[in-house]
Amino acid sequence: MLSFKRPVNMLVLINILSFGLLFFYREPLDYNVLYVGGAITVLTVLTYSIIYFAHLGDEYLFIIVSMLVTLGVVMLCRLNYMLGIKQVGWYLIAICAFYITFALYRYTKNLEGLKWIYFGAGVALFLITLIFGKSVGGARNWLVIMGRTFQPSELIKIIFVLFLSCYFSGDRNKKIFNINERYIIAAAAYVYIGFLVIQREWGISLLFFITYIILTYIFDFDWLLLLINGLFIMIGGTIGALTLYHIKVRISTWLNPWSDIANKGYQITQSLFAIAAGGFFGRGIGLGSPQLIPEVHSDFIFSAICEEMGIFGGIAIILLYFIFVYRGIKIALLLPDGYDKCVATGITVIFAIQTFIIIGGVIKLIPLTGITLPFVSYGGSSLVTCFMALGILQAISSKKQVNA
Amino acid sequence: MTNRRIVNILIVISLLFLTLIGYLTYFELSLKEKVSQNPFNKRQWAYEDDTVRGSIIDKNGIVLAKSDDKKRIYPFSNLYSHIIGYNSMTYGKSMLEAKYNKLLLGQDDFSTVFYLSSAKRAGYDLTLTIDHNLQKLASDRLGKRNGAVIALDPKTGAILAMVSKPDFNPNADTLAEKWLELTDNEKSPLLPRATGGLYAPGSVFKIITSAAAIEKGLDGETYEDTGKVTIKGKTFENYKTKAFGKINMERGFEVSSNFVFCTLGTQIRSEGLLEISERFGFNKTFDCDIDITKSRFPQKQADDAMSAALAIGQGETLATPMQMAMVTCAIANNGIMMKPYIVQKATNQNGFAVYEGKAQQLYKPISGEVASRIKSMMVNTVKKGTGSGASLRSYQVGGKTGTAENELTLKSEDKEHTWFVAFAPADDPQIAVAVMMEYSGGSGGENCAPIARDIIQKYLYK
Repeated sequence: MLSFKRPVNMLVLINILSFGLLFFYREPLDYNVLYVGGAITVLTVLTYSIIYFAHLGDEYLFIIVSMLVTLGVVMLCRLNYMLGIKQVGWYLIAICAFYITFALYRYTKNLEGLKWIYFGAGVALFLITLIFGKSVGGARNWLVIMGRTFQPSELIKIIFVLFLSCYFSGDRNKKIFNINERYIIAAAAYVYIGFLVIQREWGISLLFFITYIILTYIFDFDWLLLLINGLFIMIGGTIGALTLYHIKVRISTWLNPWSDIANKGYQITQSLFAIAAGGFFGRGIGLGSPQLIPEVHSDFIFSAICEEMGIFGGIAIILLYFIFVYRGIKIALLLPDGYDKCVATGITVIFAIQTFIIIGGVIKLIPLTGITLPFVSYGGSSLVTCFMALGILQAISSKKQVNA
Repeated sequence: MTNRRIVNILIVISLLFLTLIGYLTYFELSLKEKVSQNPFNKRQWAYEDDTVRGSIIDKNGIVLAKSDDKKRIYPFSNLYSHIIGYNSMTYGKSMLEAKYNKLLLGQDDFSTVFYLSSAKRAGYDLTLTIDHNLQKLASDRLGKRNGAVIALDPKTGAILAMVSKPDFNPNADTLAEKWLELTDNEKSPLLPRATGGLYAPGSVFKIITSAAAIEKGLDGETYEDTGKVTIKGKTFENYKTKAFGKINMERGFEVSSNFVFCTLGTQIRSEGLLEISERFGFNKTFDCDIDITKSRFPQKQADDAMSAALAIGQGETLATPMQMAMVTCAIANNGIMMKPYIVQKATNQNGFAVYEGKAQQLYKPISGEVASRIKSMMVNTVKKGTGSGASLRSYQVGGKTGTAENELTLKSEDKEHTWFVAFAPADDPQIAVAVMMEYSGGSGGENCAPIARDIIQKYLYK
């Protein structure tokens, strides 16, 4: 019996409506749109059914995320069909990665014992990027593997969470070379952040720092440590803001982008023009001009959504992330103290903070730092690693169900 | 404990997300307008290209501005330059063209939601409260002299005519040709004097001083006017040092005696004058179809000499002609000051009004009794005082003259600003007029009263 009370049916309805609209609004009719829409709907329903009928844990996580992916693909198809088609391809790969990560995490034992392996893997990825990496837009943060570009920092996000969780769930009074381990871990975290700063990945380094602070607050609560970290970042941040040209530019274009619209303030002002054009209800899919924003398909996709689907559309996206975070936190809350709890919290927090940083950036609430909008922005490495993280969260929620 | 802290983090994250939603809403409600009107916004250019900008017509349907393909045409060239302003790709927009840009482009939430075709859009047409014939008369009568003429309906605040000189031709070709000259010209032809020029109000301010005197019960005295009065070492003279002998305040008002009003100024003092001026709208701004510069009354406490100067509209008091027109309206309208407005309505292609200008009360500075006392003083000013130049055979006119010293009168004689404000008919005021000529010399009664009379006559004998 078909009922629209089931979220997945509503999702199918939204897919039919939005891709139908995309199909009809532009002449000549492009049947590719229907193939893209059909493919994404089939993929979503199929994966959802597997999760639901095979009892693979929380069924809502995937529904929320596929709604986000759908909105992203609709927007990408509207901007450029090729991007939309590619993104659906990435979606397929991402779902495969989701199952693989799910299985690996679910059935591998002793994941919490690999602390320094995680750390080493992260550092190795950074080093490889620095040595073999390719510069895109001033930041050396892309690897080219078999003709395809890949952004390692996306993957390192997951490794970072796994690494920190090893420490938080382990024996905390251990001392290495007579130093309390928490300071060693702090130093390790700053090594990661340091690499990111070298790569000029301001957004992700901020994300790593906040995630580290939040996890420390939750799992290793210690005023002295938080204070030291706070001081450290304040001094580091102030020095950076005063000396580093790139940070200075970001702050000045945040405070007043209108004084240099033609150059430095161009991106952010174009984004604000787009949001302003949309109003509450948007100009309608295909009726706005989001292509005027540079990088609209990746970092600025939220502005495009605001222009064509309105501020209400944008708020709906924020609320989707909110429900996702709520589900993630709920999973973590129900777990006993231990590795899984840390990982579940860490992944959820990473998604939440990343969303806040990029949405806050494109609406000029905080300085803009280039970072993707999880599940929505175009890009293989972003989408695949987001689904890998989702796979881990899914695996944890399914363990919980078994235990309960 | 751990769960407790996880919940704390969830709360923080929720607050962060709420901030995002809150800022987006704030952006939409407060910042959007300014952002989207930015000249760098390519969307706006595209939108304007796709739209036939709405026409602007006077209250009787005479077209004052229209769009032909991409050109904006002002058939009466200079006449509406300080009301409608200009609309130029190069120089931007001013006055109503800027303030009502969205409606002229037909941009509102309704059309954004329901516009789904690719046909060329039509903007909304604006109907003004302006009476073209009155506007033309006001401009012709002011002639080549610099200054402003304003006619208002005191009961509604509708602007019937508003002329500022010097003016300019807002049509695209002439604007481009003359732009440098316009911006460099020391007479500032781009300044809308009626609403944006600040001048010492001179004796017209005695209307406000009288109101304060009546409220404070200082209106019963009799004065021995000797033509000049010295207060704290500063001497104030009547116009041409004329001595009026034994007079009361009413007579002092009719003949515009500085002796009487300077004396009243020392009694009311600057604080009292400040208080009542602010009730009349000095030192205050309000939202209006046409931006009106804030008129100023000094807020610092003054000594007797300065209080005396303030009481006769000198000192640091500065008022726009619109401000003094509004004061006149308040007297004519039983102490109620209506908010000036100029856009009567905006209509879409089908004649449906999407916006309507409404008569709104702005302030109530004085009571009806005080207003009617001043009203009769103003009627007598026209009947047997300085304002006789404005009298009409079949209607009772009330008025007040003003001659204001300024920075130029210190050096040379005959550079005073001259003023005249009036309303008629006295028993049921239909029109209030303010005429101001800058640096004209002479007196308000000679220069300005006849212009006010002609405008009132044209309006009432229509």
